[in-house]
Formats: sequence, C-alpha cells, structure tokens
Amino acid sequence: MTTESHVKDLEEEISDLESRLENARTRLARVSASPPISDTSTSPLPVEVFPSPSHALLLLSDSALPLGSFAYSSGLESYIAHNKPLPRSITPVASFHRFLRLSLASMGRLSLPYVLAGYRKPQDLETLDNDLDASTPCPVAQRASIAQGRALIGVWERAFKGTYASGSAHFLKASEQEGSRAVEEFSEALKGSMDDELGPKGHFAPLWGVVCLAMGVDALQTAYVFMLNHAKAVLSAAVRASVMGPYQAQNILASKNLQNMIAERVELDWNTAVEDAGQVVPPLDLWVGRHELLYSRIFNS
Amino acid sequence: MPIKSPFESSIAKAGAGKVVLSLLPPAIPSLSTLTYKYPLKLLTRSPGFVPQSAFTSASQPVHLYLLTYGGGLLPGDQIDVSISLEPQTRLVVTTPQGSTKIFKTETSPGRTLSDQSRQVLDVRIGKEAALCYLPDPSAPFRDSRYEQIQTFTIDSTAKGSARSSLCVLDWVTQGRISRGENWDFQVWKGKNEIWMADEPTVSNNTQKLKRKLILRDALILNDETVGSHAEPRDPTNPPKSLIRERTSPHGVIGTLILYGPVFESLSSFFVDRFTSLPRIGARNWSSSAPAASESTPHYDSKVTFTAAQVRAGCVLVKFGAEDFETAKDWLGAVLREEGSIAREFGEEALLCL
Repeated sequence: MTTESHVKDLEEEISDLESRLENARTRLARVSASPPISDTSTSPLPVEVFPSPSHALLLLSDSALPLGSFAYSSGLESYIAHNKPLPRSITPVASFHRFLRLSLASMGRLSLPYVLAGYRKPQDLETLDNDLDASTPCPVAQRASIAQGRALIGVWERAFKGTYASGSAHFLKASEQEGSRAVEEFSEALKGSMDDELGPKGHFAPLWGVVCLAMGVDALQTAYVFMLNHAKAVLSAAVRASVMGPYQAQNILASKNLQNMIAERVELDWNTAVEDAGQVVPPLDLWVGRHELLYSRIFNS
Repeated sequence: MPIKSPFESSIAKAGAGKVVLSLLPPAIPSLSTLTYKYPLKLLTRSPGFVPQSAFTSASQPVHLYLLTYGGGLLPGDQIDVSISLEPQTRLVVTTPQGSTKIFKTETSPGRTLSDQSRQVLDVRIGKEAALCYLPDPSAPFRDSRYEQIQTFTIDSTAKGSARSSLCVLDWVTQGRISRGENWDFQVWKGKNEIWMADEPTVSNNTQKLKRKLILRDALILNDETVGSHAEPRDPTNPPKSLIRERTSPHGVIGTLILYGPVFESLSSFFVDRFTSLPRIGARNWSSSAPAASESTPHYDSKVTFTAAQVRAGCVLVKFGAEDFETAKDWLGAVLREEGSIAREFGEEALLCL
C-alpha cells in the first residue's frame, strides 16, 4: 500500500518537473529566437508565420476567385467538336489528355512569358499588354483573356487592395509597392481609353504577374499557380462538357503526371523573352478561332 | 569566330540584300538600290502590267524574285533582306524556285545553334505603297533547324486610303512526303510582325523612333531536344513525335496577313467566307432532305481555316490542311475567285499558288 502511494508521488513529481522543464525551454526559445524588442505578445506561434505569403497564394488559387474562368474552355469544346467522331481506338479521356498536354504547352510558350515579364518588370505593364494583344490571333481568345484580366483588376481594387496595398497588415516590400502601383496606373489608363482600338486592353497574363507581385507571392509560385489554374479551368470545362466525372477530374488534377507537366513547362519557359513567345500548337489557334462556328456551345471560348 | 575586318562594313555581308523601290515622276517605278550577295540572289522584272485598280494612285507593280543557290538554305546560311517601298510604289515578291528547302543540320556534338539557317526579311512600306508577298511554303527537311523573322513597318501618319497595304503569306509543310518525312525537323520558328512607325522609309538606326507593335504572329515548332538540358522524358511522349502531335491532323500550316486599303475587299471576302461556313455539329432537322452539307463537296471543307479581323483593321487568316496541294489549291482558288490581287498586281502575283 505504502509502496504504491510512494510510486504515485514520484510519478507526480516527475510529471511536474517535466512540465516545468518544458515551460523553461519554451521561454528560452522565445527569448533567443525573437529580436530583443519587448515582446509582450502572448502568441506562442513562430514569428515567421506572419505575414503569410501562402495566404495570398491560397486566395489566388481558389476556384471561387471571381474571374469568371468557368465560362471558358480554352478551346476544349471546339476541339471535341472538331475531333468527332473519335476513332474507336481512342477513348474520350485519352483524347482529353492530348488536349490538356497541348493546351499547357501552348499556354507555357504563349502566355507564361508575359506572366513572368509582368512580375519582373511591372513598369512595362502597358507595353506587355499591347504586345500580347498584338499576338492574340483571334477575337475569341482576345475576349476570354481581356474579360479575365479586367475581372482580376476588379478583384484587386475591390477586395485585395485594402489589405495588400495599404501596409496595415504588414510592412510592404518595395517590389510589392511597385506591383500595386503598376496595377493602379494601368487601371487608370484602361479607364481613360475604353474605346481606343490600340489602347490598353487588360489582358490576363501580364496582370496576373503584377497582381501576384503586389501580393508578395514569389515568382515560381506565380508561374506555377498560373499554369495550375489553367489546368483547373480546362478540367472543370471537361467535367461540364461531360468528358469525365468530377472524381476523375480531381484525380488528374492531383496526379504526379500533371505536376510534372506543369513543372516542365515552367522550367522550359522560365527565361523565354516575350519577343520569343509564340504558338507551339498551331491547330489550337484554329480550334479556338472556330469556336464561333459551333452550332451549339456551352462556353465562351 | 574570325576577327572582323574594319573594311568589311562597306561590303554586303554574305546572304544580305537590299532593295529600294522608288517612284520617279510622273509615275515610273524604279529600283534605286538593288544589291545582294551569295547565297542570296535577287532578280527583278517590270512586266509593264497596268493595274485595273480602284485606286487612282496605283502605280505599276515591280516583281522581285527571291532566290537562293540550290533553292534552299543550308545549315548556317543567313539570308538578310531589307526592302523599302517608297510612297505609292507596288512590289510583288515571289519565290520562283518552289518551296524553300531547309536542309538538314548535322547533329554531331561539336555543333552549336548557330548552325541553324535563318532568314530575316525587313520591309518598310510607305504611304499608299503596297506589298504583295505570296511565296511558296517553307519545306523543312528531317533534322533541320530554321528561323525566320519577317518584319513589316508601316507608316503611322497615313490615315484612311493613304495607308500602306500588305499581303503576306507564310506557310510551312511537313517536309518531303515522298521520303516519308512528317514533321521530322528539329526546329522551325517563324515570326511575322507588323510595326507602326512614324517614318517607315527612314532606316531605324536611331532608337528615338516611336514604334508600336500592331501584330505579332509567331509559330514555334520545336521538338524540345535542343537548348534544354537533357532530362528524363515522359516515356509515353518521345521527343520525335512532339511536333507531329502538335500539328496533327495537318500536313501544312499557314497564315495569311492582310492589311490596308488595297486588300480591304479581299479581307472582307475572307471574313465573310469564314462566318458563312456551315455550323459545326448542325443537324438537318427536316426529315425529308438528306444531309445537305455533307453531300456537296466544297473545297472549304478540305481546309480548316479561320479568318478574323484583329487590330487596326488587320485580317489574319490561319489555315491547316492535310497536304500542300490541298492548301495551295484552296488558297489559289479563293484568291482568284475574289480577283482583286490579279486586278491590282497581275496574275503573276499568284505564281506560287
């Protein structure tokens, strides 16, 4: 009986000592990790959590971001119509895989250079916008790009600017200030020249780069999320065009194959100058351009 | 690279050519400059064709033939042609040797990217001047590498019917079908740009000129084996078939760019033709008549094309067809049916079609 209570006492003492040791270690870690300013914060979280760049990333990769991307199939609908009926040896899903591969390759060489140029040189936004407009071969693709680009400006002005341009949440880096200033100036120029045929248009790709810069997302993630969002939009269109079910679409989206494909495109076109951007999949221009000829359509592109 | 001779600058570089077309009073077209150097050869001819033109300012067109020794480009060949069309002149450019053959690049390890062949064409078009450039397609052979940059600069001060006009065809085939070639080259890059500048006939040695890009049409067919460091590839996607997969189902790919008052009627002809194409996936709901759209053979059905007005009144026609002959027949038939090129420049302008 006595030995039993003795054991219990000892156990209590050990757990007490352990908790005190733990407590002391935490305090030591906090004192040595944080700079010697009077830290009255009660938060035990590591300092580097705030401001979290991944918060902006999560916002930008959200499919609920109101850009209207769901209205565009980037040529998928037209591709399906042009390849109908499929030969018996090719399943609709296999045919879709080809489209996704082509679409990502085309996006990588055609639009990604503009995303990265916008990110690296936000002051050139207006020139980039003009050059991308000059490189867009058909009104269908132009409408899709402009609608999403202007929607992105809208989201920035109405939703993100308050937090990401004011500096109230965190200290703004010079690059972030430069990014938000570039969007601001561009938006003004856009409002001032709505009916100028050769004026600013608001194409999506360079604006994406600049908005990501303003929100403190790093360049690689900017490029990766741009490509991933494109893949998501195409897959979402595939589900609605009844090429596949939603689980299969998520399966493709999660697949290592898709991840590798995006990574490969980003790596390949990381240093491609906008002057060297171009179409690598010529039939894609034909499919997108001929979307207007479809008898019935559920998408805008 | 050998050391450059300080005396070299006055002599034209290999493959370089320069053409200036001016108009002597009252309206006599004359080539004030015509120089070229091996392997390039430029020939001109004034057929004395009087345009049955809707434009009072229309002058007689001069023909320029772009030739290369051997009818093609060897690895490392660099063609650099600069053409200047002074106001109110008209130039027809064709390639009388048939398709521009792009010969194979040896892939021994010591060789570099500079072994690719390259053609640069820089054309400045003055007010009321017109260029009609309808060449044969480029035919890249197996393992070849080629890059082509064509820049057209138009006068931004001209408005309305005084604008410059241009018609440019750029097309590429899968190679020699007789040899079983089917998009087996390594690189084929083609870029066409239209720039608007204040003073297009003045050479742009000063960067002060205000230039604005109006149109850029760039096509990059690359098997992605050159330039990128070798990395393990997706085994289901071997590099040899990459260009083929990206161009399938076409054996020829092309673009026709139209701009300016002289080609206005042709532009709207193409756009109307495109918009009045039968709808894809349309069904004939009347049970009595058979499927009408499929029973009438029409050459539009053999060619997949789009035509759209892009910026500043430019019309871009893009097409793909199963083979060169189909595309050639289609394009030739459409241009002859509309007829304005034959009227403005003469039937010879359609030599390659």
